[in-house]
Amino acid sequence: MMKKLAGIVVFMVGLLLFYGVSNVDDFPGWGDPDSPANASPLSQYFITDTIKDSEVPNMVTAVLADYRGYDTMFETVVIFIAGIAIFAVVRVSRNNSPVCGGNKDDEPDLIITTTCRLLVPVIQIFALYVLAHGHSSPGGGFQGGVIMGASFILVAVAWDLDTALGRFSEKAAIACAGLGIIIYAGFGLASMFYGEEFLNYGITHKLLPGVESPEMARYYGMLGVEVGVMFTVTSVMFLIYGLLSTRGRMSGGL
Amino acid sequence: MNLLVVTLIVLGLIFFFGGVVGLLRFPDFYTRMHAAGKADTLSTILILGGFIVYNFAEGGDAASWNVLVKIAFIALFIMLTSPTSTHALMQAGFESGIEPEIDDDESESTQEKKGRDS
Repeated sequence: MMKKLAGIVVFMVGLLLFYGVSNVDDFPGWGDPDSPANASPLSQYFITDTIKDSEVPNMVTAVLADYRGYDTMFETVVIFIAGIAIFAVVRVSRNNSPVCGGNKDDEPDLIITTTCRLLVPVIQIFALYVLAHGHSSPGGGFQGGVIMGASFILVAVAWDLDTALGRFSEKAAIACAGLGIIIYAGFGLASMFYGEEFLNYGITHKLLPGVESPEMARYYGMLGVEVGVMFTVTSVMFLIYGLLSTRGRMSGGL
Repeated sequence: MNLLVVTLIVLGLIFFFGGVVGLLRFPDFYTRMHAAGKADTLSTILILGGFIVYNFAEGGDAASWNVLVKIAFIALFIMLTSPTSTHALMQAGFESGIEPEIDDDESESTQEKKGRDS
C-alpha cells in the first residue's frame, strides 16, 4: 500500500518536473548573448577588467574571493557551523556510551596501508597545489580543503580513526576550523586598519612585504583567504567523518 | 600514428568490455571482483597510452611533454590504487563471510551470506 502511494507521489513529482523543464520558452537559449546573465554590464566588467583589477587570470576565483568576498566568507562560516552543529548533536562522552563497531584486535591490512603510505603524501601535495593554483586554473580553498580532508579520512579508513587522530587530533581539528575563519576575517580586518572597506584587500600592499601594487595585493589577499577556507574545510571534513563513523565516540570506529 | 592511437584505444575498450561481461556474468563475488579489477587497470592504462601517442601526433613540443608526464602520473596512480581497492573489497567480503562458489556439481546456490558478526 505504502509502496503504491509512494509510486504515485514520485510519478506526480516527475510529471511536475517534466512540465517545469518542458516549458522552455521561459529560459534563454544556450549561449544566448542577450540573456540576462550575459547582457548584464556586470558580467562584461568581470570578463574585461578582472585581470586589470587583480592580476588574477581565473576570473571565477576573482569573483568568488574578491568581488564577492563577503559571500565566500559566510560560506566558510556555514561550513564551520555545520561541523560544530554535528559535533554538538552527535558527540557523546567516552565513558557512558555503548561500545559499537570496530574490533581493536584487527590488524590493519598490509597491502592497503602500504598503498596509503605511498598515496597520502601525494594527495596532500596535490591539495596544496590545487589551493595555490586557484588563481590561474580551476581550484581554490574549498577544493583543496576537501582533497586534504580526504587524505586524513583515507588514513582513518586504512588504519583506524585513532591513528588518524594521532596525526590530526580532535582538538586541533576544531581549532583549525576556527583558525580558518580568523585568517579570512583577519585579511578583511587588516584592510580596515588601513582605512579601506572590510575585505578590500587592495590596500594591504602597505602591509605585505615585497608587494608594490594594490593589484598584486589583491592577488595575495585572495591566496590568503583561500588558505583560510582550506583550514576550515579540511578540519570540518575530517571532523564530520570522525563523528559520523563512530556515532560520536571519536575512537575505534569502522 | 593515428593507427597506433586507434589500436591502443580499441584494445583498451575490448578489455573493458571483457571486464564488464565478467562483472555481470561470473558466478560469485570473488570472480566478479577479479574480472573488474584486472580488466579495469589494464584497459585504463591502454587508453591513457593512446592519449599519450595522440598527444605526440604533431611532434613533441614542451606542452605535450607536460601532458605526457601528467598522464603518466594518472596511469601510475591507477596502477597503484585499482588493484588495492579490489583487494580491499575482496578482504571486506571475505571478512563478512561471503562464501566463494566452489564447483562441485551439487549446489547451485549463489552467494551465501553468513552473518559472522564479531
